[in-house]
Amino acid sequence: MSFVHDPQFGDRMITLMAALVLVLQIAMVGQRWLITNIRMFALQSFLLAAIAGTIAFFNHSNHIYIAAALTFVVKTLVLPILLERIVARVGIQQEIEPLINVPLSVLISGGLTLVGYIVAESFYHPEETSASAALGHNTLAIAIALFLIGFFMMLNRRKALTQVLGLLSMENGLFLAAISLTYGMPLVVEIGIFFDVLVAVMVLGILVYRIGETFDSMDVSKLRRLRG
Amino acid sequence: MNQIPVSQAFLSGLTLYAAAGLVGLIGARQRNLVRIVACAFSALGAVLEGVASFAVIRDAHETIISIPSGTFFLPYTFRLDPLSCYFNLALAVVGLAISIYSFGYLKSFDSKKPVGVFCFFYSLLLISLTAVFTAANAVLFLIAWELMALAAYFLVSFDHEKDETRRAGILFFIMSHAGTGALLVAFLLLGTWAGSFDFSAFHLASQTLTTMQRGSLFLLFFLGFGVKAGMIPVHVWLPAAHPAAPSNVSALMSAILIKTGIYGILRIAFDFLGIPPLWWGLVVLAAGTVSAVLGVLYALIEPDLKRMLAYSTIENAGIILMTLGGAMVFRSYDRPVLAAIALAACLFHIFNHAVFKSLLFLSAGAVVHATETRNMERMGGLIRRMPLTALCFLVGAISISGLPPLNGFVSEWLSYQALLGGFGSTLSLTRIVFPIAGSLLALTGALAAACFVRAFGIGFLALPRSSQATQAHETHPSMLAGMGALAALCIALGLGATLWLPILDPLVVQLVNTKVSGSLVLAGSLVLSSGSPKGGTVAPAALAGLLVLLTLLPGLLLAFWRRRRRTVSGPTWDCGLPGLTEDNEYTATAFSKPLRMIFAAFYQPRREIQTEFEVSAYYPTSIRFESGVEPAFETHLYTPLKDRILTRAGRLRTIQAGSIHAYLTYIFITLVVLLLFGVRS
Repeated sequence: MSFVHDPQFGDRMITLMAALVLVLQIAMVGQRWLITNIRMFALQSFLLAAIAGTIAFFNHSNHIYIAAALTFVVKTLVLPILLERIVARVGIQQEIEPLINVPLSVLISGGLTLVGYIVAESFYHPEETSASAALGHNTLAIAIALFLIGFFMMLNRRKALTQVLGLLSMENGLFLAAISLTYGMPLVVEIGIFFDVLVAVMVLGILVYRIGETFDSMDVSKLRRLRG
Repeated sequence: MNQIPVSQAFLSGLTLYAAAGLVGLIGARQRNLVRIVACAFSALGAVLEGVASFAVIRDAHETIISIPSGTFFLPYTFRLDPLSCYFNLALAVVGLAISIYSFGYLKSFDSKKPVGVFCFFYSLLLISLTAVFTAANAVLFLIAWELMALAAYFLVSFDHEKDETRRAGILFFIMSHAGTGALLVAFLLLGTWAGSFDFSAFHLASQTLTTMQRGSLFLLFFLGFGVKAGMIPVHVWLPAAHPAAPSNVSALMSAILIKTGIYGILRIAFDFLGIPPLWWGLVVLAAGTVSAVLGVLYALIEPDLKRMLAYSTIENAGIILMTLGGAMVFRSYDRPVLAAIALAACLFHIFNHAVFKSLLFLSAGAVVHATETRNMERMGGLIRRMPLTALCFLVGAISISGLPPLNGFVSEWLSYQALLGGFGSTLSLTRIVFPIAGSLLALTGALAAACFVRAFGIGFLALPRSSQATQAHETHPSMLAGMGALAALCIALGLGATLWLPILDPLVVQLVNTKVSGSLVLAGSLVLSSGSPKGGTVAPAALAGLLVLLTLLPGLLLAFWRRRRRTVSGPTWDCGLPGLTEDNEYTATAFSKPLRMIFAAFYQPRREIQTEFEVSAYYPTSIRFESGVEPAFETHLYTPLKDRILTRAGRLRTIQAGSIHAYLTYIFITLVVLLLFGVRS
């Protein structure tokens, strides 16, 4: 089992998992069912937790284990359950109606991935040939792409709840960028961010419920009516 | 003389103000307790502030108080120099009287009204006013300035149930912020050029600035401070906000808040920006003259008692600006003695106006509370029902009309002398400005007297014009005490003007480096002279004695006469139609009618009469009469400006679609473009 302790192996694992995260993100853009979407988000978060755990293992930095555990608990378990309960309570339609059709959306997501790579390119210094630099390069590109696609998901969808999902996957992108570039921020910052996300989802959950009550629909385009 | 620990007194005064505010916030439930404790604390705080300020002026000694703060660019530095302390003293005196008055006035509030919240904002206003006058740093000054505007806004909109009040509050807010915008730009520019936001650095930097820089700074500052000073044409918030606010607040705003603008102009013109070019003084003088004349013209036709007082505040701010502008002109001509005299007139009038205008607003508050109306056409006969309030109002009215021997007379007399002195002592065309300004000041004084004869005559004399006025009662003793103190001060400042003037010496020395009392006060501090051999002299105390003698003499004669003859008292002659009612009375509108006709070109009065009849026009069933004047500044300046802003804003509105998706798309596109742009460069 010597390969387990080989850093090269760890880097490859991380890159592989990051790529899977990106694939899941694009799949979420193409996916039409809300519940499946939430579960894909849970899976994506699980992969993130695994990335964090791998980084912690190969760099022997124990506090990242805590971040990984937090990711697992908050994003893989708590948030999806919370969201599914909201879905059940509001009793919304299961199908997502994107503003832009699925093939075009996936194409745009591909374009945004490209943008991520272009942007990450400028941070890449070829003279630094160490493994961590290469890892940083790849995962940063993926992280930026995640962020942009998450944003695109937000503006592509009508329902407030699916926009929450977009926001959460944007946050996943940020988490990936932070953890792969710095090998773990100070724990305080991590905990702060988790707490933030949790609170944000709660607020958004209430807001979603309210919008549903007021407009008999969760379609945020109806908020236009609030304009004076 | 004993030494007064100035900084301790100053800081504990501020602490007491703050304690009053906190009491208001904490004990919102115990209405009576809060009212008593908060008013007592703010009154005590005002006493301490007054003592500290007076000590600084008397000793002409500058005190700097620094409170360490966490941020490097914002030291909490207060500088107590004579100029700051003079304004702070006025605040303390007026604040003390208003705090005593509020003790009774707050009791009359509706039981639903949050007295505690009122006390909080009132204390906040006192603190921020003190901080505005004493801040020694531009950042601290601006913070205090904004706090002051906010506290005043909440106090003005205290009766927020009324549509009119909310509108007044918003108007105040907008105008105040427009002014602060100008100030912010000016302070940032000056701070950049001086390399520091410290007031002492501003003073040193003035020598290195170019004429262009100084000129633009002056205009920005003048505009920004002019809004608060109530200068025409940026005065529109005043006649709206003063009547809408509770009367103790209108008193504080009119007496002191207005003066923050004057303080600012004094500070920049005499401290920051060095010797002014001629045109600065002329601009200030012109703005002051326009404000004085137009302010009193508007006051003259206003039937709303408190709004009339607000217009009269504009007029007095104008008078103060006239002498201030005069002092600036004299300074640029290098006439220190004349500048000192004009400044003394200006400073004296600032204090006097603070005293008599707060007195008038407080008594107006008592009257409005008793009669439940601000319209003087519905008052009348109050001199019998509330004699002490009427007496206080009368003292204020005499004083503001500039009649001897009260304080308003002395400062207006000094203002005339200073302006007329300018004619003989300056060169070229400028000299013609002074007699014109002087005669317009005379016109203003006469019109102000007419205005207050009208207010007192219609409001207090004759028969009551409404049922509320019939049932009016004398006000709470503490309200009377507050007003009485101010009325006594009006008399004392008038009779003892010659003793008061030397107190202005440290200020005038600070500003123009010349003493003033030596040339103005003659003959063992009894006679006031105009400072030049050609000008006049006056002895207020002797005048008062003469007046007392002149009123006593007929009284004595009458008493002597009466002993001989039997007197019969009967009703007023009723032209043979028995039973005079309030309908026979002369109205306020009728009183000002002749003046409205004389100044028709300015007022552009409009009148509408509609008669309805069935058989013949000679037997009308009902007549509807409506008259009014053209609000010139609103229709010709503010409405077009507002319309233009709204059209521009309407165009911008198309991008504000109200759709979350559109907003997200804006952010998204911006983000991607910025990312790519960042990579390229």
